[in-house]
Amino acid sequence: MDHKSRIRILRFSPVQRLFHILLVISFLVQSATGVGRMFIETGFGRLLCYIFGGYGMARVVHIYVGIFMILGFGVHAVYLMFKVDWRRFPGSLFSEDSIVPRPSDIKGFFSHMQWMFGRRSFPPFDRWGFWEKFDYWAVFWGMVIIGSTGLIMAFPVQSSRYIPGWFLNVAFWIHRIEAILAMGHVFIIHFFIAHLRRHNFPMDRAMFEGSVSIESARHERAAWIQRLEKEGRLRTLMVEDAHPIRRAVYYVVGYSAMFIGLFLLFGGLLNSPDITW
Amino acid sequence: MKSIQFPYSVALRLKPMPPVFYLLLVLMLAAPGPVRSQEEVITSYRHFREREYSTGYYEDYEVRPLKQAPVAIPGVRIGTFPYSPSAAEVRIRTRLADSHRGIKFYELQQCKDCHPRNALNNHTVRANITCRQCHGGEPIASINHYFSPMNPIRRHAYICSKCHQGANVSFASYVIHEPFPADVGTLEEFPVLFAAFWFMVAIAVGTFLVFLPHTALWGVRELLTKKKGGAGGS
Ligand code: HEC
Ligand code: HEC
Ligand code: HEC
Repeated sequence: MDHKSRIRILRFSPVQRLFHILLVISFLVQSATGVGRMFIETGFGRLLCYIFGGYGMARVVHIYVGIFMILGFGVHAVYLMFKVDWRRFPGSLFSEDSIVPRPSDIKGFFSHMQWMFGRRSFPPFDRWGFWEKFDYWAVFWGMVIIGSTGLIMAFPVQSSRYIPGWFLNVAFWIHRIEAILAMGHVFIIHFFIAHLRRHNFPMDRAMFEGSVSIESARHERAAWIQRLEKEGRLRTLMVEDAHPIRRAVYYVVGYSAMFIGLFLLFGGLLNSPDITW
Repeated sequence: MKSIQFPYSVALRLKPMPPVFYLLLVLMLAAPGPVRSQEEVITSYRHFREREYSTGYYEDYEVRPLKQAPVAIPGVRIGTFPYSPSAAEVRIRTRLADSHRGIKFYELQQCKDCHPRNALNNHTVRANITCRQCHGGEPIASINHYFSPMNPIRRHAYICSKCHQGANVSFASYVIHEPFPADVGTLEEFPVLFAAFWFMVAIAVGTFLVFLPHTALWGVRELLTKKKGGAGGS
């Protein structure tokens, strides 16, 4: 392996990519079953439910995959416990390598906006852009909110032993709005940023392949690369590009996810006047 | 011989219990009692007579409208019909044995012709449950009639548990005819729902207000820039 072919820099470990792909699949299943049930009064919703075996089965699938997601979330929480640098504990949470938001992220947002209006050069982001941190924590709290309300509604008779039954009405609407927020965010904002904007077009393979091209990172995450170079760690993080067949698989997976998401998004938007809210 | 000292360890040594014990004790007192799914819940009588033996007259656990329903929605006006979210200030029919007594042309119409808003509930529009599967055959008793199966004290047993096995009184406080949470009227009928709805909407709208323009601008800006970085995706 000569160094010239190592043109990509590692961003995500295999475990992180596994979490991501499991989340992709379960999120899409939950979206399809959930949207299908929500739109059951329309042909669009009936089509979606039909795929999963009808209105009733869609609920069953939704519940099982939901429980799977909650378990995955638990595993992820355990994983985080191992990932935190406990030796330098409170400080390490706010280091550059941490995904925990810092004050500089707010500054990053504003310098990013200034760049858009041509007021400055592209800001030197570190390992995580503020939009990536937002994505992560939005999913994190979304899981808590959707997971808890979903669990309540999955077993309504049992859960109303511990909470008053009228909370099912409330849980239903919290679940619904949070899900709409999550889907809107993923299907519009996340997909656009990761696939369609020119810098990443046709697709940012980082979360599938684990690595990004070094030129791209130098541009988008200048501070991170600089830091790695200064610490002399850049070399150790360089990897080769994946085999073309694997790359093709990544594109197919990424684009299928995107088209499913866009189908749900546009189907939902077009049919939203026809359902009982 | 060793003399045995009296009283021989009679002095009961009560070891002080750990504070957790007392905490648990207090918590136990505060915990709700067990919910019996099939009982009427108006008094603490647990084992009232079975229905078959009923003379038609029940003891005080039965059928008198409560000041407040067993499981009440917080913030909703305490009154005779706390479970009726659609404002019932002027409802006078709500304690009739036949809620439609004397209503003209009742037989000629469908429920949803006269109660359009009530037809918009998830049981009806999604699960294809008919009104009568819950409200029963003729005559349809008013919700708060003493003997109405819809009376909150026995609704769980007579209505919900037909389909939801084990339904308890708390479960039955689910508002079937849920008011639309965005409406101002919901603030009075179901304040918690109203607040939760608008809180969530505020979060969602706030997120989109920040990130949609941000994303759109970003896309435009990159279109106008010469592309740097690896060819064809990153
Ligand atoms: C002709 C119009 C009409 C039709 C048809 C009709 N209702 Fe009613 N219903 C009324 C009116 C008027 C009242 C009294 C409402 C009030 O006082 O607020 C009433 C009262 C009720 C109540 C009692 C409300 C309470 O506060 O206790 C119930 C329950 C009810 N209707 C259910 C039904 C069902 C179920 C059907 C279909 C089988 C139906 N109604 C069909 C007009 C109608
Ligand atoms: C799943 C059972 C269920 C179904 C199905 C159902 N209802 Fe009800 N209905 C209730 C309960 C419980 C109440 C009293 C609590 C409440 O208001 O939510 C009620 C209350 C009412 C009232 C009293 C006024 C009010 O809004 O509180 C009317 C009128 C009524 N229902 C009409 C209908 C009509 C018309 C249909 C069919 C389109 C229907 N219901 C279907 C359970 C049901
Ligand atoms: C005739 C049968 C029937 C009766 C009677 C009935 N339900 Fe239901 N209920 C259903 C069905 C079917 C569903 C599932 C609907 C779905 O899948 O969307 C359901 C769903 C529900 C849900 C939603 C569960 C969830 O996942 O959040 C609640 C809450 C509920 N019912 C409460 C009640 C209450 C309270 C009563 C009594 C007033 C009642 N139901 C009476 C058939 C019934």
